[in-house]
Amino acid sequence: MEHGDVNVVYSVEHQLPLVMYIGQYFFFTGLSAGSFVISVIATLLGRKEFKPVGKITALLAPALLIIAPLNLILDLEQPLRFWHLFLYYNWASPITYGSFLLTAYPVMGIIYAVMVYTNRQKAAKILGVMGIPLAVSVHGYTGFILALAKARALWNTAAMPTIFLVSAMVSGIGLVVIVAAVRWKWFDKEADEEQKATDKKVILQLSQIMAYVIMLDLFLILSDILVLLTAHADAFEAGMLLLTGNFAFLFVGVEIILGSFIPMLLVLGPKSRKSLTAAVIASILVNIGVYAMRFVMVIGGQTTPLS
Amino acid sequence: MPEKKRYAMVIDIRRCIACHACTVACKAEMAVPLEVNATWLKIVEKGAFPDTRRFWLPRLCNNCTDAICARNCPTKATYKREDGIVMVDQHRCIGCKYCIASCPYDVRYINPLKNIVQKCYFCSHRVDAGLVPACVETCPTRAMVFGDKNDSKSEVAQLLASNATVVIKKEMQTDPQVFYISADETAMSNIEEEINYYTEGSLAKFRF
Repeated sequence: MEHGDVNVVYSVEHQLPLVMYIGQYFFFTGLSAGSFVISVIATLLGRKEFKPVGKITALLAPALLIIAPLNLILDLEQPLRFWHLFLYYNWASPITYGSFLLTAYPVMGIIYAVMVYTNRQKAAKILGVMGIPLAVSVHGYTGFILALAKARALWNTAAMPTIFLVSAMVSGIGLVVIVAAVRWKWFDKEADEEQKATDKKVILQLSQIMAYVIMLDLFLILSDILVLLTAHADAFEAGMLLLTGNFAFLFVGVEIILGSFIPMLLVLGPKSRKSLTAAVIASILVNIGVYAMRFVMVIGGQTTPLS
Repeated sequence: MPEKKRYAMVIDIRRCIACHACTVACKAEMAVPLEVNATWLKIVEKGAFPDTRRFWLPRLCNNCTDAICARNCPTKATYKREDGIVMVDQHRCIGCKYCIASCPYDVRYINPLKNIVQKCYFCSHRVDAGLVPACVETCPTRAMVFGDKNDSKSEVAQLLASNATVVIKKEMQTDPQVFYISADETAMSNIEEEINYYTEGSLAKFRF
């Protein structure tokens, strides 16, 4: 805040409460939710060429969501007391609904994966449709964790949960493209030429969908920043922190340029759009960008002084 | 029917001489470890030489009526007493630090010895014994006044009724219960500090 010639001679500042464990947790749940949604879409469409993608993602989703909460428990000052979350719940707190969602969702994901792998199409479809709201809320609530911590101007916006959901889709699709491309290149020896060609087409299509979701993500970020810059003083500070402050390199450089615009050009560019390598590079960049976004949001949001 | 008790504090900065006795008393009474503070004195300097002046503001937990920390605590370790004091149950706290992230006043800290979150409780143990908080007891100029705001005979209620008072960050809708008389606006606001947060400040303690 501009106050002319003012110096803080002495004040106390306490340690940053949320550290990168939380950002990493957001990143992993995002990947998981994104891949689960793709898996369910593939299962629902039921087309033969989507089968491999549907299978990979069905496995990725619960696997990632078993890693994710480990970050949360490691972040606790008293990790052995994590069970207090279930015993002494508080329904007003987003962490409480998160702790129940984080238990229900992997269970659902594992049952769904079993159904997909044992080829029980109908059961997989029903479970998938039931699982989508769960996957959306398991990641959407993380946005609420930040948005409902009203002290921090960067977090306390209505756009936060949606931004987290959309960036989760982006990084989730990115991961699926990487994994599917690795499988296509090295682990899919039995498939014939024709099968290979359709598989490649599906992966490329997927990467193009990713580019469109990136556009949506960029629009949400733009609207969030614009509103921050025109709202109250703390919000303005938070917006400027991202645009010109300490987090400008990570936000503008890594998240926006490296993690959004370059992948978009790679995937939609007239020459590179047919190349699987370009799609994989774009997906890696996208994941770096989303990881940077988690860092900027979690750490950057806490660096503007409170008192 | 008598109204419920509602403890509040009034700090008259016209009387405050910035001696830091409240900080020391709090440290001793609550056994607050090094590096963290439940009560402290914020000092700002305004103007350029020779037209300068210092302004200060004793800081402590506001024990808000609508405490966002209590609402966001996932285990209800942070809870509100009947008389309005916001407490932290040290056996229930899991140290998720969400309350610290939610608090607009930066008054909560992690006790590095006990690995739980702590803050100022208006010295609830002393209040229960009929005493006033340690900072109020020790304040040499009686700048800090503590008492039941709903009891019209109490000094706090009378000070509140007869003075222009302000609270920190009223816009946060937390209804703080620490009221200031003659507080400086710059001392109460979160001006950008000289410290470079990225290298020296809180991020120095950053753990990956």
